[in-house]
Amino acid sequence: MNRSPFKIFLTLPVLLLAGPLAASGDEPTLEARHVAMDVPAMVEEALRAGIDHSYVGPWEFFVGGGAAGLDCNGDRKTDLFIAGGKNPAGLYVNRSATGGELKFEKVDTGLDDTVMTNVTGAYPIDLDNDGHKDLVVLRVGRNAILKGGPGCTFTNASRQFAFDGGREWTTAFAATFEAGATFPTLAFGNYVDRSAPGSPWGTCHDNDFFRSQTQETDSAPDYSLRTALSPGYCALSMLFTDWDRSGKADLRFTNDRQYYRGGEEQLWKMDPDRPPRLYRSSEGWRHVTIWGMGIAEADLNADGYPEYALTSMGDTKLQTLDEDAEEGRPVYRDVAFEKGATAQRPYVGEAIRPSTGWHAEFDDFNNDGNLDLFIAKGNVEQMPDFASFDPDNLLLGTFDGKFVEAGDLAGVDKPTKGRGAVVADFNNDGMLDLLVVNRGGPASLFRNTGGRAPDGGAARQMGNWLEIELKQKGANQDAIGARVSVKSGNETRVRTIAVGGGHASGRLGFVHVGLGVAERAQIRVQWPDGEWSAPYRVFANQFVRIDRDAPQARYWLPE
Amino acid sequence: MRLRTDLKAGLLLALGFATVTAAPAEDKKLPAPWEERAITAPLDRADFSGMLTREKLDELTSIGEHLFGAHFTPLDGVGRPMATQAIIPTKRRRETRLSFQRMAGMDAASCASCHNMPVAGGAGDFVANVFVSEGFSNADFDSIDPQFSNERNTNHLFGAGLIELLAREMTVDLQAIREEAARQARAGGGTVTLPLETKGVSFGSITVEADGMVDLSGLDGVDTDLVIRPFSQKGVMTSLRQFTVNALNQHHGMQSTERFGARWTGEADYDEDGKGDEISPGDVSAMVAWQATLEPPFATIPDDEAWRTASANGDKIFDSIGCSSCHIRALPLSSLEFADPGPVDAAGTLRGDEDGAAAVYDLGLYEWAARLERNEAGQAMVPLFGDLKRHRIADQKVAILGNELLAQRFVDRDVFMTGELWGIADTGPYGHRGDLTTLDDVIRAHGGEGSQSARAYEALAETDRSALIAFLKTLVIDR
Repeated sequence: MNRSPFKIFLTLPVLLLAGPLAASGDEPTLEARHVAMDVPAMVEEALRAGIDHSYVGPWEFFVGGGAAGLDCNGDRKTDLFIAGGKNPAGLYVNRSATGGELKFEKVDTGLDDTVMTNVTGAYPIDLDNDGHKDLVVLRVGRNAILKGGPGCTFTNASRQFAFDGGREWTTAFAATFEAGATFPTLAFGNYVDRSAPGSPWGTCHDNDFFRSQTQETDSAPDYSLRTALSPGYCALSMLFTDWDRSGKADLRFTNDRQYYRGGEEQLWKMDPDRPPRLYRSSEGWRHVTIWGMGIAEADLNADGYPEYALTSMGDTKLQTLDEDAEEGRPVYRDVAFEKGATAQRPYVGEAIRPSTGWHAEFDDFNNDGNLDLFIAKGNVEQMPDFASFDPDNLLLGTFDGKFVEAGDLAGVDKPTKGRGAVVADFNNDGMLDLLVVNRGGPASLFRNTGGRAPDGGAARQMGNWLEIELKQKGANQDAIGARVSVKSGNETRVRTIAVGGGHASGRLGFVHVGLGVAERAQIRVQWPDGEWSAPYRVFANQFVRIDRDAPQARYWLPE
Repeated sequence: MRLRTDLKAGLLLALGFATVTAAPAEDKKLPAPWEERAITAPLDRADFSGMLTREKLDELTSIGEHLFGAHFTPLDGVGRPMATQAIIPTKRRRETRLSFQRMAGMDAASCASCHNMPVAGGAGDFVANVFVSEGFSNADFDSIDPQFSNERNTNHLFGAGLIELLAREMTVDLQAIREEAARQARAGGGTVTLPLETKGVSFGSITVEADGMVDLSGLDGVDTDLVIRPFSQKGVMTSLRQFTVNALNQHHGMQSTERFGARWTGEADYDEDGKGDEISPGDVSAMVAWQATLEPPFATIPDDEAWRTASANGDKIFDSIGCSSCHIRALPLSSLEFADPGPVDAAGTLRGDEDGAAAVYDLGLYEWAARLERNEAGQAMVPLFGDLKRHRIADQKVAILGNELLAQRFVDRDVFMTGELWGIADTGPYGHRGDLTTLDDVIRAHGGEGSQSARAYEALAETDRSALIAFLKTLVIDR
């Protein structure tokens, strides 16, 4: 039903923006683009904030370039561990004042080059349930598990956890706590086997899969048994995801067709105490081949079945479970075009060569209640058939369930080669900031200063928000695998706590939810074992802590 | 009284004797007298920003008064065929069959249709009750079954600006206590509990751990964000501005741009009635200004000697049986400067300096402000007879005031904000549903935290009960 001429007017810009924009050379204006919702004014301040960090190196580091966001000193600010390729990885402790400019202090980890160099990415996870977040470090060469301690201290615990980091070129990671497990199950995605005959073409490594050989609570995890996930098709991102609301996560891969032969996207079925096995075409899995670089998961319509953004060269895919798919059959269809999310080529400048997408992440950057999609973009190195100036995307979610490009309006359209990213509220002001790791150049750190004012004046307050921290006792203290359902009025917004996806980058910490104009919300948590919590009633613009079985949520006050 | 003439005109409007109110002739923004509309052009907030002079304030409030009394029409944007009355923009599943109906609204053409006793801005009789329901998913109610809505009597708005200012200062105090508890906890490395008290009213206690984690279990009578929401029977509305935006949509289908506009909905005409951007932020500001500057009720001294004598006795009884423990006679207010937008509204109600055109006006510019007593600290004593705190007001023995089925905005069904008694002589009937016709009835209806006083009242001699009523009857609204 469309009774109103205004509706036509306001949906028009979405159609216009589905295609590339003509370069005007002028500062883009909200009025000219008819972007009705708030556009976050993202101010780049990496150097001023104390982050001078580049991801560099030869061919092996054309991919990767990730970062981990985690709180490593208990102050609930997101600290950063950033891969450097041939440069050493860096640990940056967040010293930002609440609501202020971003400040980070680079600290010496004391770890040697066998851990800190040749790093492609990293993910945070509390592997041993001691309350300190550990780091899984992906490398070209031996991967490492860094055990977190107080005050952002880390020790190499690979041997302690019987973890052989292998010698592969690792570019992806995901972890999950399987049912009843004390320790997480780990999966590593590997890229090209450079030593294989004919390399690099058709010589993708197998991928690695580890279940702890002990689940005793008073012992350390034991990752001595490696299971190969074969065939490997040069994975660049992977994610444990409960795609069918079964209560159990399967393992989704996105693979780079640049080097595989006969490969495709993959979904591995996870059954307890059995090795993963691939879903087959007879089970509904469709043959899709893309230059898969990153995965982002979000339940865009809160129906319990997540959607997946898959970055690639050219079109980004946005996959949704086909509504006609029978139960248990992973039949996906691509809705990127109809949703305005293909982001297939640069949205500024004259070039019409296709983009190269890497990290993807759904989050609500403007707190209007709609999920937005950030995509890090950048030429692999000097691939002439693809855009050389390839700005990162900030696709704002619209109120009719689509996306509209606003990267240039927001100020994230830098001439960089984006790879991994961390989206986090670094200064605890309720607005999501952004770290982008760039290949061959300094990382970008964007502070979200608020909604860009229509008249070009100072940024203004955006919508309401919540940030939610879950905690449970014993194993899986950070509730990885939990679903957080936030209901305001008739709207339900869903977030899943996951370790994996993106491009070599992950974050653990507060879950951010934009609320738009809702000033209160009801939160329910489906804990990783499937049990639903009672509803928690909270007011907007709060940091909320929910302890499992607690009768009441608590608020946290930033310092 | 400056407003009296215009208010009478507003009342006439409410009774249907005219289509548009007597507009200030000098303001060209108002429609011609014969036009069947209330708004000709949106009011530009930039014209009324900064510290307003009395002259500028009069100009703004006259427009607000016009809008408060006007009968909105479809030319203004009346109608919300595809939107519900919910405070969060919510689409109907299908177009409603009835544009006007009493449950889900629309249920009035004018604010003054209900707020009219004894004059515009006042309270309402039972016939002016409204139905509080969230309306998020099913707006097509056709019954008064309490599972769908709570029926509420209309409150008066006199002194509302002072009420909001008190609430703002109390919010600042409570949140400062929370911050201080956090500071002490962090500095000392342990858990700190501090009493939450402001203006002599206790809101329980707040406990903060060394890492900044807040235990909310000790709070009493206030929301967990420590924002005093002083408006509505339930005490769930933060500001006159929020109340105005909510009510315009619910009762009139007039959707304000700052809540229902494209910024938050993607559509200028969210309710799909063919009219976009129906109420501008400037128009809302004018309505807020008129309400905020309404003269507060002051107790009168009866001419009748018998009434005067009885009232004096009742005045003492009011304290002796504990009425004044919640119906506190007056609360101190440090500043009479009213900022619009206010400091504690959330997105969807214009905030702070969001549009660069914030206005501040000094309620001390009004003659009535001089009648406010001052305490030793120089604070104005606002004679509201309330505490801006929520209390449980029903129990198993006396459940009359707990007659609702639905909780509202996280507040239990039998918990309500202390009703301010100023003006109560002129605002019957009483009770949240307006179904108690006498003050005697409503006093006896107190249960829960009000039970002890109510039972003490019942135990009084007839003359003493009468004396208390005589006292309450001095709490009038100046006509």
